[in-house]
Parts: sequence; structure tokens; C-alpha cells
Amino acid sequence: MKLTINDRSVSVDDELTDPRMPLLWVLRDVLQMTGTKYGCGVAACGACTVLVDGAPVRSCVLPLSALQGKAVRTIEGLGGAAGPHPLQRAWVEHQVPQCGYCQSGMLMAAAALLEANREPSDADIDAAITNLCRCGSYPRVRSAIKAAARELAQRRRGARP
Amino acid sequence: MPARGARAMRRRSLLLSGAAVGGALLVGWSVLPPRSRLGSAALWSPEPGEVALNGWIKIAADGAVVLAMNRSEMGQGVHTALAMLVAEELDLPLARVRLQQAGHDAIFGSAESFVGFLPFHGDDREPGQETLTFRGARWMTLKFARELGINVTGGSASVADAWEPLRLAAATARARLLGVASLRWKLPVAELDVRDGVVSHASGPRTHYGELAEQAALSPPGDVTLKERAAYRLIGRPAQRIDLAEKCDGRAVFGLDVRLPGLVYASVLHAPMLGGSPATVDSDAALRQPGIERVVRLPPLGGAGAAIALVGRTTWHTREAARALQVQWREPPAGLLDSKRIEAALEAAAREAAAKERGFAFHSSGDSQAALAAASKRVEALYRAPYLAHATMEPMNCTARVAGGRVEVWAPTQVPGLARDAAARVAGVAPGAVTVHVTYLGGGFGRRLEVDFVAQAVRVALETAGRPVQLAWSREEDFTHDFYRPAGVALLRAGFDADGRLTVLEAHSAADALEPRWMERALPSLSGPVDAPDKTTVEGLYDLPYAIAHQRIAHVATRSGVPVGNWRSVGHSHNAFFAESFVDELAHAAGADPLRFRLGLLQHRPRHAAVLTLAAQKAGWGRPLRPGRARGLALHESFGTIVAQVVELSIADRQPRVHRVVCALDCGVVVHPQGVAQQVESSVVFGLSAALYGRIDIEGGVVRQQNFPDYPLLTLAQTPVIETHTVPSALPPSGMGEPALPPLAPAVANALFTLTGHRLRELPLAPLLASVRG
Repeated sequence: MKLTINDRSVSVDDELTDPRMPLLWVLRDVLQMTGTKYGCGVAACGACTVLVDGAPVRSCVLPLSALQGKAVRTIEGLGGAAGPHPLQRAWVEHQVPQCGYCQSGMLMAAAALLEANREPSDADIDAAITNLCRCGSYPRVRSAIKAAARELAQRRRGARP
Repeated sequence: MPARGARAMRRRSLLLSGAAVGGALLVGWSVLPPRSRLGSAALWSPEPGEVALNGWIKIAADGAVVLAMNRSEMGQGVHTALAMLVAEELDLPLARVRLQQAGHDAIFGSAESFVGFLPFHGDDREPGQETLTFRGARWMTLKFARELGINVTGGSASVADAWEPLRLAAATARARLLGVASLRWKLPVAELDVRDGVVSHASGPRTHYGELAEQAALSPPGDVTLKERAAYRLIGRPAQRIDLAEKCDGRAVFGLDVRLPGLVYASVLHAPMLGGSPATVDSDAALRQPGIERVVRLPPLGGAGAAIALVGRTTWHTREAARALQVQWREPPAGLLDSKRIEAALEAAAREAAAKERGFAFHSSGDSQAALAAASKRVEALYRAPYLAHATMEPMNCTARVAGGRVEVWAPTQVPGLARDAAARVAGVAPGAVTVHVTYLGGGFGRRLEVDFVAQAVRVALETAGRPVQLAWSREEDFTHDFYRPAGVALLRAGFDADGRLTVLEAHSAADALEPRWMERALPSLSGPVDAPDKTTVEGLYDLPYAIAHQRIAHVATRSGVPVGNWRSVGHSHNAFFAESFVDELAHAAGADPLRFRLGLLQHRPRHAAVLTLAAQKAGWGRPLRPGRARGLALHESFGTIVAQVVELSIADRQPRVHRVVCALDCGVVVHPQGVAQQVESSVVFGLSAALYGRIDIEGGVVRQQNFPDYPLLTLAQTPVIETHTVPSALPPSGMGEPALPPLAPAVANALFTLTGHRLRELPLAPLLASVRG
């Protein structure tokens, strides 16, 4: 089966996988892309969040069979050729991570939020970021999302003729 | 009373006889001067272009410094804080310090964590006023611990442990490097300038550490002095954590991210009931599943019960196949555990101990019984706390390879040396034949002080013909086979005299002893046949800072059979709730403001009073709040750090809603200010999850909470504004990974009392609040 991951076409050996196999394990154990994390296996914690056609999805419950023709973006592809995503820069600037285990999922959920909502309010952030963090990075996640939103807005203004 | 006096004496003499045993062992060992704690260059395996100057410090050819990192990074920021100490003394930018995992030499062992086990009261160990007994015991413990060299990232002790040796190691290296420059240029050391690792003299010559290192390795350091505080450029200033970039782009390698050629994956199936074991296993169907290569029976290992491992192509394949495994489980011979029954037994034990003056008195002063009898007003209350799970975001796992008589282990562990010993025992090799690679830890909180998952991985690796195996627990296994924070009960009594002064405090608590159980699992060589009194279950209750003339704080150590272990802040986690809720009750009983009531009892403890006052000021204690809101405060010392918190909350939909937590603290010298703030935020969020929702129930031997939906954690939407304020201090740094957690639960409960008039004496608070308010 062919998958599109981070803008690249990737072949997954059908012999080694199974249509029921969740994307999380295909990424981690077959493709060796370990940035996406296992936390609960029941879509409760969000550590495995990736974007599928731009929408945040918990990859631990998303079977391979559902991915035909879809574009997957993982933490490894969040930044681009131009360097880190504004969220990644804000994450460093605001010193968000502690243990860091949940942060790939946090960042992907935040990226999806900013795609859909350029100026998220506190309530929007509350609603969109339901990922669990045991280290308590939440207050910094909130400030970093707002900082990244400001940066993106500035960029858009700067891009205007 | 003579009986109680005798009991207190027994504690002291027990402690001292323990110290004497340590002392006897020390005879014949050199009492090492501080400089020998730096170790020799020979501790490093030589690498081209690098020159080791002592056991901690190497200089790279480009002038960067390589630091032997002995502590595990589990989010607490220890890699950054320790690198800052070294960068400070060597006058380097933080980014020029590289880390390499330290080996197993005794210089990398822990010492302050073991001092933390000593059952001393604050009156014995208040800095500057330490008693001779405490100083002697502390000295002996430090020496003993340094000889043992057990490396533990725990007990909030990493910065305290590193404070002297790391700065000394760096300053010694610097002195040698400058000595070489001085000789080379024939200029006095005092005239040399070092900036960002570049050594120069006003007359022109310039060089960097990399060009001085080879000669420095052959030169003595001469006089070494540590920097004066006023000269710090890094310590106490904002600095960016050194682990951020790789934790934001997926590169950071946690235990589960280890990928090796030929890696196979293993899942573990423990008995559903605690203490159970597989009686019969039919693995035929499981072995016929795709991608499955073998099923391994695991004996009890490192504290884990007997279990079954499935080995296969991916973690998913092994978990799928586990459903096809047919197992008949055998119940534990001692019967099925039940947490309700255990909690009732704890309460009965505490009440009986109170009635019959039983229990081990960890602190007694004056005559509490007579004072209670003479009191004009008495207050009594029973407090309870449940079992709790660690629930690290990264479930337990370990990767191991056994080949050619050698064992290699990749583990997210807080105890690399104990992990090595456990691996050696399982593989039947000498510890020297084991290499442990410490990965990043996806949370630790005390769970990774255990070695069960390491032992299991090595056991499975013995069956995979030299191929590496990654053993990974599911979230469900992680929740249901934890080493839980023990449930605890405390019956508290206090009395006021006719003038309304608080004169007496008694505590009769009961809970499972936990450090002896941990020693059996992780450190069997030091585990004794009889449990020594375990201070950790009573800490935070027997050592209150308040001036109360008559006290008896006694504890009944139980052994329920539930696997218990170290959970972030250990005994303080529930004892602070008991103590600081009860002190609040006493303030209300005395008709006093909770802040003023506490300050009145803290006149002999200016540091505690300063912290409490700062928190109250910053929170606007006493100022009016909007309707429907209330404040509560609590003060608690743990791991050498004093923390006060003021919580502001309301109730919405019958649920407590915490809006703001103001935290003031005294942790000695602040090394990394954002690290301190992060640890406060972390402790508040972790502490709120526990205070509001956390509980593990065991029914019919089975842990009922299996995954996050059954064990609610605080979410971003529920997270309050958290403020951190530090009291300036010149004392050496004390702990920060845990101390901001204990005062949170009582501060919340005290605010809820102010708001509702209901005194909640049992954790977790949210369901209890809903039940009392109907």
C-alpha cells in the first residue's frame, strides 16, 4: 500500500502490515518514524496526534485501510524546508516541553487549530487542545499557541503588498 | 511521660546504632577529601580529540566541554541545571556544554537523597541551627552514600548533590587550563581573562580551552576557588533548556523510540489480579497469529509478578496476538486484594494505635496525653488518602540485547546502576558485562526507580538469539501493575489551653511501609529481613514547622500486599493534606485567620514565615474576591524546600474550578529560574489531578482504573493561572521536582471549606464535594 506522509509517497509492505493496523504502529514500528507517540491506545491522551488531510487525528485508532488517498503529516514533517514551524519556535521560546513525550501530539493539535482558526481565543484553545500532559506544560502550551498565532498574523501582514 | 521518652530514645539510639554500623564499615576506608569526588580522567573511555581533566569534565578539540551526565532527564530540567553549574565555573556559554552519559563510578552516586531518608525533625536540621546529632548523622550518611555510589535521580536531590562537586570539577578544570596558558605566555593567572571559553590577556595572546587541554591534563590545578555569587553570569539567570529543540521535532529518543537493526517487539501480559500468576498457558492460537514468533513465560522479576511475553514483528502484532492467548490465572495464595477492606483496616489500625498508644513515635515532645487531658478545647479528625498510580505518559518499557556474554540495555530509568545490577542478575553475568544506555524518560515521578521492566526485557532477550527486543507495556498494564502511592489514614488530635493557645498535637497514622518494599525489588543486596522504621510514609506529618509544645506523632507501618512505591513527593503527598487541612481546622476552631494563625506558630521559623507571607501578599490574601470565589492556603516543607500556596477557586456544575494558584518558595540558591517555575507548574498540575480526581481502587484483586478515561487527569481547559515567587536565599540549593506538590491538595480543601463550609477530609476532593453537596 502507498501512503502519503509529509508530502512524500511511502510504500508499506502489505506482507508486514494489516489493513486493521493503526497508523501509529505503522509509523513507529514499520517506518521507524518514532516522533509520534503511543500513550493510551484508546484515543484518550492525544500523544499520537497526526494530521490527516489537515485535520487532527488520533493515530492509535486509525486503521491503515482508512488512509487510502489521504495525506498524513507527522511531527517529523511539521516544519518545512524553510525551518521550524512558528509553533515549534514558540514552543522553544516559551520553554513548553518538560519530559517532552506528549509534545509531538500537542504540536500537531496546535497546528491543526491554527490552520482552522488564525486567532484562537482561550476558549478555542481549551476546546481544541484536549491532549493530556502529565508534566503540566498546559499554561505554556497556551501562551506558545498565542505567540505563534501572532507571528503568523504578522507574516501575513508582511506578505501583503 | 517516661514511656514515651523511652520510645523517642529508642528511635535515636536505633538511628545512631545504624550510623555506628556505617562507621564501622568506614574504618579502613579513606575518608575522601572533596577533590577525590572529582574522580580521575581514567573514568572516561578515550575518544580522539578529547582530553579528560577529571571524572566529570572533558575538553573537546574545539574548546567545548563534555560533562559526564549522571542524572536522568525526565522533564525536571536536570540536564540544563547541571550543565549551567559547569558552564558557570568554566565561563562558557551554556550551548558549549555537551553531555555524555556518566558511567557507574561511585562519584556519580547519590548522597543527598539518602540524607533525606534520615528521620530528623525540622528542629534538628533547620539550616544554621543544625543539632550536633543531625550534623553527625548527615556527615556519616553522606560518606556512606558516597562509598555505596548508588545513582538515583530522585528525592529532588540532583541539584543539591551536584552543587559542590560539579562546580568544583569545573573550577578545577578551569584552574588547570589557565595554569597552562599562564606558563605558556609567562603571564600571571590573575591577569588572564576568560570569556565564552576564550582565554586571553590584555597584551594580546588569545587561545581557547581546546588548545590548552592536553597540557592541562598533565598539570596540577594549583589553588582552586569557586566563583563568588556576585560574579554569576548564568546561575540564577534565565536560560533556555538544552533539550527543547529535539523535543519539538520528534527527534528526542525516549525508551520506546530506540530502534536497532533486527529489533523485535514484545508485549507483556500480567495476571489481571495483583499477585496472580499464570497457571496454564495455551499459546498455540497466539503463535499462529501473523507476525508472532514466540511466547515467553516470565517468572516474577524485579517486583513484577509472573507474566507472559509475546514476541513479534511490531508492538501491534504482539498485542493483537495476546487476545488469542489462553491463560488460566492462579489467584495469589494470600487471597484477592480489596482496597476498601484495606482502607478500613488502616483506619482500625490508626484508631487502635491512638487508643493504646501504639505505633512508632517519629516525633514526641512534652506530654501530649496530659496536655490533651488538660485542654479546654479539643479537636479530632480522621483523614484519608487513596492509592494512586504514576501514569507516566510513556508507559513502562525497556530494550535489551543479550549476545556474546554481554548485555546491552536501553532504558528510561531513574536508576541506571540498579538497572545494570538487575540485568546482570537476570542474565547471570557480572554487572561489568552490562551496558545501560539511559534514554529520555517520558515522565518518571518515582515509577522509574523500579527495575521490573528492565528485568523483564533482559529475560525476553535471553530467548531471541542475540536480536534486540523492545518490551513495551500497554497503558492498561501500566495502570494495573504499578507500584502505587500507598493509601493512608491519620487520626489527628489537638488541644487548646484556657487562653486559646494551641498546646498539643497528636497524630496516629497508618499506611504501608514503602522503602523496604522498594529495597527488596530494586536494591536487594541492602534489603534486610526486618523493616526499619520507614520515615518516608510519615514525612510531612511528624516534622511540622509549628511551635506546639506537646506532640506525639506516631505511625503504624502495615503490609497490605498491594505493591507500593515512591510517588512524586512520596509521604508528603498525602501527609501535607492531612496536616495542613487539620491546621486549617484548628485556625477555624480558634476563630483565627488561617494565615495569622500559622504565622503565630512560626515565630521561631523565619524562613517559613517569610515564604508564607510572600504567598499571601502576592495572592492578595484577605482582599475581597468576586462572589462565589474563595481562597485557601497551605504551607509545607519537603526535600529542603519550603513552599506556600494560595489557591483561588469557585464551584461550577458541582465541580471545583481552580482559577489561580500563587506559589511562594524558598529553595536556597535558584540555579535555573524557569526550571523552578516549570517545576511549580508541573507540581500544581500533577497535584491537582491527584487532589481532585486521583484514586486507584482494587476490587477482587483487580485494579479498576485501566486507562486514562478511568483515571481523569487535569486538562488544559481546567488548568489555573500559576504564579511562582521565590524568596531570595544564599543557602545551597534544595529540591524542586516535588516540593510544590504537597501543599496543593490542602490549599484546595481549605478554600473549599471557606466557600462551602464543608471540611473535606478525604482525597480525591471532587467526588467527595459532589456527594456532600448532594
